[in-house]
Amino acid sequence: MLGRHGDSLFWMARYLERSENIARRIQAAFHYALSKEDDGKDEWTTIISDTGSGCTFSQKYDETTVTNVINFLLRDRDNLNSILSLVYKARQNGRSVRTALTQEVWLSLNESWIACETALKRPTNIRDLPAVLEGIVRGSSLFRGALYGTMLHNDIFNFLRLGTYIERADNTLRIMDSKYYQLLPTARVIGGSEDQSQWEVMLRSLAAWRSFNWLKKGRLDPISVANFLIFDERMPRSIHFCYKEIKLNLEDLSNSYCSDYDSLNAASQIWTALHHSNSVDKRIKLREFIADHIVKNNLLSLTIASDFNLCKQ
Amino acid sequence: MFDEMMGFEGETGRATYKNLSDWLDDQDLKKLSKESVKAEEMFRRVGITFNVYGQKEAEERLIPFDLIPRILSADEWRVLERGIKQRVSAINAFLCDIYNEQEIISAGIIPAELIHRNEAFLPQMCGFTPLGGVYTHVVGVDIVRTGPEDFFVLEDNARVPSGVSYMLENRSTMQHMFPELFTTHQIRPINNYPKELFESLVACANSHIESPNVALLTPGIHNSAYYEHSFLADEMGIELIQGSDLEIYDGKVVIRTTKGTEVVDIIYRRIDDNFLDPLSFDPNSLLGAPGLFDAYRSRAVILANAPGSGISDDKAIYSYIPEIIKFYMGEKPLLKNIPTWRCADKQNLTYVLENLNELVVKEVHGSGGYGMLVGPAASKRELSEFTRKLRANPAKYVAQPTLALSTVPTLTKNGLAPRHVDLRPFVLVSPNEIKVTPGGLTRVALKKGSLVVNSSQGGGTKDTWVLRA
Repeated sequence: MLGRHGDSLFWMARYLERSENIARRIQAAFHYALSKEDDGKDEWTTIISDTGSGCTFSQKYDETTVTNVINFLLRDRDNLNSILSLVYKARQNGRSVRTALTQEVWLSLNESWIACETALKRPTNIRDLPAVLEGIVRGSSLFRGALYGTMLHNDIFNFLRLGTYIERADNTLRIMDSKYYQLLPTARVIGGSEDQSQWEVMLRSLAAWRSFNWLKKGRLDPISVANFLIFDERMPRSIHFCYKEIKLNLEDLSNSYCSDYDSLNAASQIWTALHHSNSVDKRIKLREFIADHIVKNNLLSLTIASDFNLCKQ
Repeated sequence: MFDEMMGFEGETGRATYKNLSDWLDDQDLKKLSKESVKAEEMFRRVGITFNVYGQKEAEERLIPFDLIPRILSADEWRVLERGIKQRVSAINAFLCDIYNEQEIISAGIIPAELIHRNEAFLPQMCGFTPLGGVYTHVVGVDIVRTGPEDFFVLEDNARVPSGVSYMLENRSTMQHMFPELFTTHQIRPINNYPKELFESLVACANSHIESPNVALLTPGIHNSAYYEHSFLADEMGIELIQGSDLEIYDGKVVIRTTKGTEVVDIIYRRIDDNFLDPLSFDPNSLLGAPGLFDAYRSRAVILANAPGSGISDDKAIYSYIPEIIKFYMGEKPLLKNIPTWRCADKQNLTYVLENLNELVVKEVHGSGGYGMLVGPAASKRELSEFTRKLRANPAKYVAQPTLALSTVPTLTKNGLAPRHVDLRPFVLVSPNEIKVTPGGLTRVALKKGSLVVNSSQGGGTKDTWVLRA
């Protein structure tokens, strides 16, 4: 496979995963805003700053109104991480690797784009928001389904999966970075309504609210949430799960290319550490752990690029 | 005016279209129009679009697809096929001569300056004959018609002809929408084109290479024909590469892959000569690869079509094609040329200026229907503008009479109406044979009375059937 194609596949998956993650975060924030006394502004600004678009936003808008924020996150083409920009880039990448995708995968991507472009042509009003967001998340699910169901599980598939899980690990880490730590000091008393809803926003953003409740029978305490998001091997957005997949896909590549790679060694190391410590040690500093893993994850992305001749367009 | 279904005015319909005409009588045209909207939705879903230059980056357009097919009888096709083969053989012989002995110039048939001062002539190709002796691996010959037996060649596209993906997609759309028509007509298949293209390219390679590695070189996703590039690469099962994927390493042409590198033997390139190699041609080009042309001259790789092939489809050379056929083939041309006035010639220029409102004027190096004048349809301002242009730079233009192009019934808002068409059959050339795919791309001018069929100018396409008997 062409190195450039590997790069396009990797980033196509990253952009799509990112668009889904942002849609989920908006869903969670929206849910929170509706069940709050205030308008939940803080929640919106966190999403903007977490996607690294704070400057662009403040240059364009004077006020942080719900309408401004929603439109900025969903459809502003000046915002490189708006859902519209991301799906556009994913589709452009898909077009450039059209020959590597099955018809069904390409169709799901192209239809996502067409649906997104149509839904976001005009400013989104709040009444349409739930349907728009559901559409975006559904598009992502269809893509995933077509991928698993119709693609050969070969190197093309591996690069796509690597993109997905690198992006997903990054997302989970960043949400924890911005949220979890703010929460800790006030988390002494479990069950205060403020805390409860913040936990809920975080878990909902990671599509894990229900599954966490089901596993823990509704008991929310900071340590179990942290353990769940970092170590739980069953949870598809935990760091452990992401690294299991990253390692697997790199092993596949290593086997089929009959070669050893720095990226595989790095991923194995991270995975081993996660695998052998199954809970947050009270002594490890959570914030450092998270910051450290954000860096490691970025580094791994670069190592993959250099190991496999991926080049940036 | 000749209509391919009805015949000349007053006639009651031609035999070739009998079955289709009966079928149309049974159709509810309103329903058909709805079907046609469905077909276009399908094209958009699949992403069969082309980019329009000068429009917003994200602008992708559909080429309007007309549901009413265009039909050619077996006899008509036989004439076309023989004529096209003759023409394409002559073009290849001409290219080989022009880049080697130049006997046609010595014989006084073509003036030397017409070649040497021509932008499309590449001195870098002199003294080099491509592997297999093939210059134009793929040709699209544009043909128009004015009567039952009157076919004219409008243009020979010998550089990087496009449109073949529409020929193929149009057919599969028709089969999908109206399977019944394929049981009442004996239609020759075209769907093997990608396989045949692949085999035709591979046949040019050195015989000691066991299974030559073929790749398609595209300028990238912003090119107007990108969909076609990806479609063909996909159908042939070959890599779709860009210049940035290529490296010249140790005299070999390699592509950078996730495993390391891989040698390429044949490049079906869909970028123009000028952009192939910044070291040999346009130094600012980022689309090609430095050193690619040298590698080509040392026979490390085959480029299809050969650089410099454009000298044969130039609109000024076009007028010499009948002589070119006589010179190399010793035969009378089977297909007619349209009479062409080269404006570089003083007498011609005078004639053209005097009769501008009856002529079609084209740029010698133009394409895509840009920068041309259709005299009878032009406004006073356009006419005077072209008078000025012609006086200022006569060698840049040729003029032709305005032909009464044939029409084919086309679905419009007000039911069926005749619209002008042309035809681009696709020709594959290998050292062993010349193959013309039975069919081609029929382009149709959707505006009433319009003669401009180019997709960039709002033209549409039709499925084109060649009948078995």
